[in-house]
This record gives sequence, C-alpha cells and structure tokens, in this order.
Amino acid sequence: MAYNPKTGKGLGDLYSGDMRCTKHREWRGFKDTFYDFYRWLKLLGMLGTTLAPVMPQMMKALKRYRWMVSYLTTPNFVDRHTIGLRGYNLRYVHNQFYAVLQNSARMIKEILERDENVNPGSKRAAELRSKTIIFDEMMPIQIMNGFPTLKGLLIQMVPIFMAGEVDQQANMYYIDAVEHFGLAPDVCPLPAAEAGCCVVDDYPRIGSAYIGSTMPCDGSVATNMYSERYFKLPSYTIAPPQRFNEPEVQDYAVKNLWGAVEFIEKQFNVKFDWDAFFEGVKRYNQETKYMLEKWDINCTPYPQVGGAALALHREYEMQIASALDPKMSKYDAKTCRMMRKGYEHDKKNDIKPRYRAIVWSCPAHYYSNFTYWAENCWGIKTLVDMECMLSYHFYDEHDKKKVLVDMAKGYERMTMRSHSNGGYINALDECWKMCEKFDANIVFMYNHVSCKNFAGLQGLFEDQARERGIHLIWVEHDLMDPRTVSRKAMRDRVNRYMTTVFRAEPLDPTLVDYDDELTW
Amino acid sequence: MKDLKHLYYFENLLTEANNDLVRQAKAEGKLAIGYTCYHMPEVLLNLDNCFSVRIRAPRTGSMEMATYYMSNATCEYARALLERALEGGYQFLDGMAGVDVCECMNRSMENMELLKTNDQSKKGFFWCNLDSPCHDNEDAVQHVTEQVTRKVLKPLHENYGVDISDAAVRKAVEEHNEVCRLLKEIGDYRKLENPTITGHEFHILTLATYCCPKYLILDKLRETAEELKTREPDTKKNYRAKVVVVGSEIDDPDLIELIEDSGALVVADRFCYGSIPGRQEIILNDEEDAVTQVVRNYLKTTLCVRHVEPHKVQLRLDTAARLKEEYHADGIIYEQIKFCTYWSYERALASHIMQDEYGIPTLSIDRPYMSRTSGQLRTRVQAFVERLEIQKIRAAREQREKEAAGNGV
Repeated sequence: MAYNPKTGKGLGDLYSGDMRCTKHREWRGFKDTFYDFYRWLKLLGMLGTTLAPVMPQMMKALKRYRWMVSYLTTPNFVDRHTIGLRGYNLRYVHNQFYAVLQNSARMIKEILERDENVNPGSKRAAELRSKTIIFDEMMPIQIMNGFPTLKGLLIQMVPIFMAGEVDQQANMYYIDAVEHFGLAPDVCPLPAAEAGCCVVDDYPRIGSAYIGSTMPCDGSVATNMYSERYFKLPSYTIAPPQRFNEPEVQDYAVKNLWGAVEFIEKQFNVKFDWDAFFEGVKRYNQETKYMLEKWDINCTPYPQVGGAALALHREYEMQIASALDPKMSKYDAKTCRMMRKGYEHDKKNDIKPRYRAIVWSCPAHYYSNFTYWAENCWGIKTLVDMECMLSYHFYDEHDKKKVLVDMAKGYERMTMRSHSNGGYINALDECWKMCEKFDANIVFMYNHVSCKNFAGLQGLFEDQARERGIHLIWVEHDLMDPRTVSRKAMRDRVNRYMTTVFRAEPLDPTLVDYDDELTW
Repeated sequence: MKDLKHLYYFENLLTEANNDLVRQAKAEGKLAIGYTCYHMPEVLLNLDNCFSVRIRAPRTGSMEMATYYMSNATCEYARALLERALEGGYQFLDGMAGVDVCECMNRSMENMELLKTNDQSKKGFFWCNLDSPCHDNEDAVQHVTEQVTRKVLKPLHENYGVDISDAAVRKAVEEHNEVCRLLKEIGDYRKLENPTITGHEFHILTLATYCCPKYLILDKLRETAEELKTREPDTKKNYRAKVVVVGSEIDDPDLIELIEDSGALVVADRFCYGSIPGRQEIILNDEEDAVTQVVRNYLKTTLCVRHVEPHKVQLRLDTAARLKEEYHADGIIYEQIKFCTYWSYERALASHIMQDEYGIPTLSIDRPYMSRTSGQLRTRVQAFVERLEIQKIRAAREQREKEAAGNGV
C-alpha cells in the first residue's frame, strides 16, 4: 500500500492543483521503481524509434493540428495508470499499455506519412494515400485483413478518441467549435468533437475512400453527415442492425458488411484475399482466447488484470488493431503468462480484494484511470468493464459464409454498441448476469450525462439493482468534456457512497480529496 | 377567414390519445394499434379490423415519473409518452408497433413494456421493436419486410385473427390513398398567393388523420375539402411572411399557432407528424407482393435524419429548398425538439447550408415538447419575420433601382 500511516503521506500528495503532472514519480520500493523506470525508458525508446522517420512531418503536425500536442504527454498517460501499483499489477498495466501504444505510435506514423497537409506535393505520400481507406472510428476494421495491399485507418481515432484519453484537455476546443456552429450541447461530446474537428478543418488528409458507420449511437450516426461532407471521398456506410440478438437480422448484416468489401474492391480494383483474411481471423480468435482467460481469472477470488489494463486494451485490440497487428497477440501471451503466475501467487498468499466491482455503461475518456484510483483509495477492485465486453465469440476459421456471419456479429457487438444497442436485455439483464459471474456486488454505473441510450434505462437500473441488493454507484461524467463533470466530482460520488453506505475508511486518505483539474 | 366547419371538432379529437373516434371504433370491435414513427409502415397497421393511432401525449404537464426512469436529458416527447403510458393513457391499445430507430423512443417503448403499462388483461397485446436500417437499398427493403412480417403482421394474425393477406394490404393502401388525396387537395391551398388555409388548421387536420380511425374522419375531411373550394381569404393578409417548417416531431398544433401568431404563416410541414412525408399516395403494382412495396415506399420516401448516406442528406436539403419554392415561402424554420440528437446535427448543418449554399433565409431553433407558452420562441420567430421583411424591402428597392437605371432615370 502506498499510504504511510506514520507520516500521513500518500498518493494524493503527488498532485498539486497548479501542476499538469505529478510533483515527482512514485517510490515503489527498489525492484518496482526500477522496473517502472525501465518500462518508462522502453516506452520512450519505442516512441522515438517508431516516430523518428516522420520527425519532420511531426514538427509540421505540431503546428498544423491542435490535437497533436496532446501526444507529447503519452508517458504521463501510462504513469497515471500505474500510480499505486506494485508487483504483478504494475507489470500487467505496463505490458497491456505498451501493446496499445506501440500500435498507436505506428498509426500516428502512418498518418503522418500520408497526410497531404504535412506532405504537400509529396509523390510518396500521394501514392500511400491512393492505397488507403479511412474508416469512421467507431467500428473495427477487421475486413482490412482481406486487403493486405491496402491500408485502413480510423480517421477520428488519433485526432479525437485517443487524444481525449491521453490528455483530458484535448477535445474541448472541438466541442466548443461545433457548439458554436449550432450543435446542441446536450449531445454526446465524442461525436460532437468529431464533427467539431470537421468544422475547424483539423483532420489529416490521408485516404482516397471513406467508410462510415452507424455505430454505436444516434450521435455517431449523425456525425457521418459532417464527415462525408468534409472528406468529400467516395464512400460507403456500414449500418449493422440494431436488434442484433435476433438471428433473422444476420442476413442483412452480412449483406451490408459485404457491401463494404465490394465497395473497396471496386474503388481500389483489388480482390478480397480470403487466405490473408483467415490469417487475421486466427489472430482475432487467439486474442479472444486470451481475453476470455483474463475474464475467467477475474471471476475467481484472486482477480488479476483489471481496470483500464483490461478494458482499454481490449477496446483497442478489437476496434483499432482489429487483428491486423500480430504483436498484440504476442503481448497478450506475455500478459497471460504473468497473470497465471500472479494468480498462483495471490492464491498461495490468499490476497483478495477488499471489494469487488464491475464497471457498467460508457466510461469517461478523460478519466480512464478512475478505477485505479478507486482501488488505491477504497480497495475496490474492478474486475471487468462493460467496454471490454465487446465481441467475444470465436470466428469460423475455414468457412467463408460462416465467418462472414461471425464477423457481422462482431461488428454488431463492438465498442459501446454491444450493450447500448440491441434492446434493454443487453444493458440491463447483462449487467446483473455479469455481477453474478464475477461475484461482484458493486457496480460503478457510469452516468454519461449526454448518453441518452443509457439515460433511458436509468430508473430501471435503479429499481432492479435495489431488488438484487447490488450497490449501484452512479458516477456522472461527460465522456470527453471534464468541464461538465470533473475528475474530482467523479471521485466524490464514490467517496460519498463509501462513507455513507459502506461506512468504510479509505485505504489512502490522501486520495479522498485532491486537485487534478489541470493535469493531462 | 370564416372558420372551417369541422375544425373545432377535429381540434377536440386531438385533446387526448384515446379520443371519441378511437373509443367509437373500439366499441365497434376494432383493434387499436399504437405507433410513433414514420419507419413503422402506417398502412400495415390498418389492415382488416385494425386501425393505427400515432400516439401523442396532449396536454402534458409534469413528467416526473418518466424523468425518474429516463433522466432529464432525454427527448421530452419520448418522456411525455412514457409519462402518459404510466398514467394509463394508452391502455386502450391492442398492440404497440414501436421502432428501434432512435435511442430515446426505443428506450421509452422498452420502459413501457417493462413497467407493464399496457392493459394486462389483453392477452393478444404485442410489443414490437422494429429494426429499420439506415439504408434504403433493396437489402434494407427485404430486411424491413421480414421485420414487419414477423413482428407486426404475424402477431396481428396469430393473436387477433387479422386478415393480413395481400388483398387486405391493398385495401388498406386504398383507404390510405384516399386520405392522402384529400389532404393533398386541402394542403394545396397553402400554395396560393394568399392561402385559404393556415398552417395551424392544416396541422390539426393532418394530426387527426394520424390519430383517429381513418374511416371515421373521411366524411368530414371530404366536407372540409369541399368547403375550402369556396373559402375566401381575408382581404388583408394576416401574416407577414411565409415559412416552411422543417424538423423533428411536432404533434402540438399550438406550436404552429405560436409561429403563425408571430407573423409567419406555415405553408409546408416537413416534420415528423406533418404531411411531408406521410400523406402521399402509395402506388402499388400488381406484380410484387404489397407488403414489400409498402415497405419500399416508406424506406424510399423517408426524410428521417438517421439516413445519413450522402444521397439521402442531399434529398433532404433539396426537398426543403423545393418546398420553399413550391409553396412560395420566404424562408425556412429548422426546428428540433430538445434532446433530439439526430435533429440537433441536421439542424446545425442544414441551417448553414440552406443559408450559405441555397441562399434561403433560415431560422434554427430548438424547443420543448409543449412550447405554447415559450416567449423566447415567439421572440425568435418575430425577429426572423422582421429579417424576412427587411430582406423583401431591400430586394424591392434594389429592383426599383435597377429598373430606374434601365430606364435611364
């Protein structure tokens, strides 16, 4: 435990209201501090090596794009998630985040190589663009496994989605821009920021065709209008069915998805490569297998990989890496090896969490380390996050018809969509089922104040949780906009619940109230 | 203008969902099927002894119960319906044909279902959450056809013995078309230089066709159409500008009245619960089954904002511009009900495009579900009317100056 009762010093003392990062790095004992520092250097090395070839473009991008500067804080992003962690837990987080960040760094490099704005007149960049399809960020790009000669990039991912996670201040400008344009402020700030980025012309120009999506919510659907108009590229829209629990809808889902394949074939005069695609399917299955293993361990009294290390990683693996990056499996394998050892260690020493919780509804992008705070402050271990419970069925590895149905189901059950769409059963009933499966009696119920989908079930959640005796801790947030609900306000909701309902004492009292409004 | 003979009668029918005509039809043994959205093919709810009721929550006041269940950040229309359902206001229904096309409406329906707001003694009652894609291609037509067949027609037939044959569908389409012809005839008077029907009056008639059994209002609609042939407009125009209203759900004639009281005559109603789209004839051929044709018609004609493919977005913009020309309007009011995500995006974008690319004066507003008392809304419409007037005065002055210059004066 990081809190020292004798000195009264704890993790909260690392923060200062007038600083953007912590006052100093945390001392975790020699072994863990050394490991942490080594991983910090490894991360910087990886970022430097990956991005060195595009350094001139990066310098231009720093001037051209407002979001680019947020990525300079990447090491701090990892640090936020490791505060208070020791031993295996520290290693899980480093390994999981490294997997994500090596993929992201490559994506940034690929964007900078192609971008017309920072490579004006470059023939090489134009050539790369001619073989690149840009995708709406809110869908996996698994179909690109069948087009090994082309590149698929999620266009809003780097400027908006990821930037908002790395730096809580990153998206505000775009949200304000689109609200100034006339958009109502009550809509979800994620698609709003995406539309705002169009309004202020802050997207890189990196592709020659656009595939939009109608996922996962009304805001995301509507943002397509802005993207289509902004990119002015030949386009296709993937629109999976809403009621995807019904077997009857899969015919349409497959046709619609296959339409995207045909669109790409036509636009780029290439054929879908089934062999390459099935290789990707095998990678997806392998990744899914590792994911399920992590869940299985978390169902036991000795959970291991939890919080953002589990959720963010799966989200990125499924939606962004989309089985196109063989390294994801490699790092997964490593995490799982460590996890087994960690499990044995905890079992042997009977190290159990003080409280067991699951996270439900959309989490705050600007506070992805919230669950680690809850663990450090109150000893609440987050076992699973709704956001990582996207598609986890296996795809057929041989049959073309079957695999298309499987993939269509995967698209239907992607980030946010798997529970917010398809009827109340996927949101309500599934929540209680997961509480039972993971033996959790606390639900961090993220109340994303602009998410009308989950807001529409608010009362039913409340009623049914009461009936089941589950502690539903509502934690308000506004996804990408910390001005509406700050990180501190989010923590206060848990503090109040823990002190008034559980009558609990914090493990680290310095974490109960501290100011991190200015931090990245 | 002299009052329309049946207007008060129609207006009274709109004061509650379970109105006199609904009760009369129910007493005659008919089945009332509720629905809310254009994506649910209305004619298919009017087969055999069924009649459709596009549900509303007139005279909504507090929505406290619905706000508990759906929070205060969701669409007020969806919440108002849930509130009314919790109050028992839709117990007269024999089925609810909902659609899963927007988050709030879908959740509203799901709450109604889980909270058992329907009459539990009706064993044949069915809930439906129709899946309608954001595409309008043939794959989507097949998909929706399967959906309506399984989720609406099948329970109607199996639970209530309703005739769902091709002939029954065609008959329902005929009746629908007759209503559409009448409404078109009535609505076309809005195209006159000095219209002989107001937007408020027309909206009342349109709403009545959505909320009442059609066979019970046809006579009075016919009489109204006849009456309008000789209706004289006021000698002095009682409006200062003509506008097209485009936007999300309006089932409250008082909102149209508020706009007209502020000086803007509403000559075209391009919004949910309006007549465009919704009150156009459906033309069937004899080769293909009627259900598929009906579904195709609705998918092709929908102007719903959730259809975001470029050709659909363009169609919506062009339609708004066409209506402005066709109905000789001076401008367009883009409106959205508060917390409607789809229309918030469309309104922001389209109001810029209309203004900048089409050169059409546009007012962009959001509004509560019940907006009759909104002083702010009134002020904004008044300001818009003044803007339109000033533009007209300037244009006339420029024209005079041009003519004078041409005459060498």
